[in-house]
Amino acid sequence: MSEFIRACALSEVPEEGAVGVEVGTVPVAIVRADGELYAIRDVCSHEEVPLSEGEVYDHTVECWLHGSCFDLRTGKPTGPPATQAVPTYQVKIDGDDVFVALPETAQP
Amino acid sequence: MSVLQGAVETTGPVSRLHEKGSFDPADFGVPTGREEEWRFTPLRRLRGLHQEAPGDGSLGVEVTAAPGVTAENTKRGDPRLGRAFTPADRVSARAYAGFGEATVISVPAGLESAEPTWVTVRGQGTAEAAFGHTVVEVGANARASVVIEQVGSATFADNVEFVVGDGAQLSVVSLQDWADDAVHLSHHALLVGRDARVTHTVVSLGGDLVRLAPSVRYAGPGGDAELRGLYFADAGQHLEHRLFVDHGERNCRSRVSYKGALRGQDAHAVWIGDVAIRAEATGTDTYEYNRNLVLSDGTRVDSVPNLEILTGEVVGAGHASASGRLEDQHLFYLMARGIPLDEARRLVIQGFFGQLIDQIEVPQVRERVSAAIERELTW
Repeated sequence: MSEFIRACALSEVPEEGAVGVEVGTVPVAIVRADGELYAIRDVCSHEEVPLSEGEVYDHTVECWLHGSCFDLRTGKPTGPPATQAVPTYQVKIDGDDVFVALPETAQP
Repeated sequence: MSVLQGAVETTGPVSRLHEKGSFDPADFGVPTGREEEWRFTPLRRLRGLHQEAPGDGSLGVEVTAAPGVTAENTKRGDPRLGRAFTPADRVSARAYAGFGEATVISVPAGLESAEPTWVTVRGQGTAEAAFGHTVVEVGANARASVVIEQVGSATFADNVEFVVGDGAQLSVVSLQDWADDAVHLSHHALLVGRDARVTHTVVSLGGDLVRLAPSVRYAGPGGDAELRGLYFADAGQHLEHRLFVDHGERNCRSRVSYKGALRGQDAHAVWIGDVAIRAEATGTDTYEYNRNLVLSDGTRVDSVPNLEILTGEVVGAGHASASGRLEDQHLFYLMARGIPLDEARRLVIQGFFGQLIDQIEVPQVRERVSAAIERELTW
């Protein structure tokens, strides 16, 4: 099991929305949807676009460039043009901070 | 008529992709990844080469010159530098503004050199970014070949100029045989003289990220440029080749032939083939193609050929691109003759690359590339 690393303060995450952070060298989007926190790789699997800049609805984050939505729980796209899932990461809240556990294979 | 005034753009740059050119890095904004020329490149892996990373590092450059060919190091301000090109992107401009010493290789007019001139660029580590500059000038009616071999670990951006005199013949091989962690962005600018002939072969096998942009301009009519490339992208590797052939002279010929294979998760190949035929370039004969062999799941190919043709009086202008996996029928044909699957795959892939490898003019390189491809093909 990989270690939890601090990603950001809980207050930085919008009520319903996303914030993009770098955890080590890995870009991660911390997303809050319906009061739950999720962590997902902050790069669309279609083109090099930060997902944290997209809208969050229906438990998905939408890539603003071409409109693929990624399920926050599984990382799977719900529609084209993306066909590949985006990695999702374990996330936990400790006090006022958000921590993320990255697998060792996480890409920079 | 007045209604149509301005409906057709008649002034603007000939190619939108190359409308900017400047020696001053400040003339280019820091790429965000949304620009057409950067949208396929994972900027976060460039280690700041496109931003402000200082180019304090250095690479070892060794030149073994063929008899009669001279090689020297020179400082900025030498009039032989910067003749063949104007940087077309920020990294290229930063490399030109930031290099310490340039290498100039000169082939005197009329010299017929059978031996290749061998340039070895050796990376010393990725921590510090390095900039480089190389000029190869070939005198009128000379004949020469140059091999640029790039090995080791590096974070490297450079420009290589080839100024080919009238009636000269030059063959170039650029080997990107970097270590797995190297990042290399490069621009090769070829200026082809009247009735000169150039072959330029790119072999990209190593490195974490390689982005190589060969461009061709003609200094007189009758020039001939053959650009060939072969690449093999492994898991996680990003290999990008961006070609631009600018036909601005009459009766010139160009051929672009790039072939690649990809295998492994997140292996990514990008090929952009731009050809412009300006209005004055009548009698142009050009054809470009790209082929990609996808050998596993999880890979990605982006292949975009573009033609901009401003005159109808051409001999030929065509382009093609195809990406696919190994043909089942080819494998079946071989397996039906008792050849096991692994061997059959190897044979088909060797055949795919063999066509380009056989055309490499320098025998040592030919053998080395065949061996390297052979090594990539162990399943």
